[in-house]
Amino acid sequence: MSSRALVRLTIPAKAEALKRLRDDMQRALSSLKLVPQVRANLVLALHEAAANVIRHAYPTAGEGRLRLKVWHERGFLRFMLRDDAAPVDSGKIKPRDLSECRPGGLGVNFIDDTMDSWRIRPSSKKKGNVLIMRKRLRCGHG
Amino acid sequence: MDNRCVLISHARCLIVKIVGEVDLSWSADIRKLILDAVGKSPISVVDLSEVGYIDSSGIAALVEGLQTAKSQQKKFALLAASQPVCAVLELARLDKVFNLIDDLESLA
Repeated sequence: MSSRALVRLTIPAKAEALKRLRDDMQRALSSLKLVPQVRANLVLALHEAAANVIRHAYPTAGEGRLRLKVWHERGFLRFMLRDDAAPVDSGKIKPRDLSECRPGGLGVNFIDDTMDSWRIRPSSKKKGNVLIMRKRLRCGHG
Repeated sequence: MDNRCVLISHARCLIVKIVGEVDLSWSADIRKLILDAVGKSPISVVDLSEVGYIDSSGIAALVEGLQTAKSQQKKFALLAASQPVCAVLELARLDKVFNLIDDLESLA
């Protein structure tokens, strides 16, 4: 069992910062024996989670920041994404019906398909949200 | 690899050639170019052979291109989609929705 952080990252809440998040995730996950497509999906899920905060939680582009922590504990990869935005209505954040072909709204589906579980809650501080996601590491880390 | 998106005129169609990593930081530019191509040509093709990454905002631009083309009775295809693009299309259950072609000769 290890709870040492694989990634600790703070980025500004702007789209241009997403590449850095992806690159750091890619680098950190490369140290684990993950199936390449699982790794790619995890990077995509984290990217989508951060992109959703940038697009929807912060009303003014680039005004806030995002803090990401990734760690490995008790057979799970755990991801925590914090923001300082106004609390979101977690009941409204859910995957959509993919049989409808329409632009937009896919990010939550990517997260839901990739992770074993996820939940979003208000931060215990005065403002902000915390998204917790986890992915079980299987034998061979597939 | 630098990100770029260009419109290429071909004898049979207009090609939107995208290179790099497609994400929220510039997907609006891609959307605009795709809709521009759909507006100008009866057949539009998006060349995704040199796309190393695509997020949901990039996929949304492709879906909007497809829907706009359909609404105008025009043709819309994705050319030589790279493995990362195909993987995201499959994740979004869109791999059967788009006309995926390997080369321009495959255009019906």
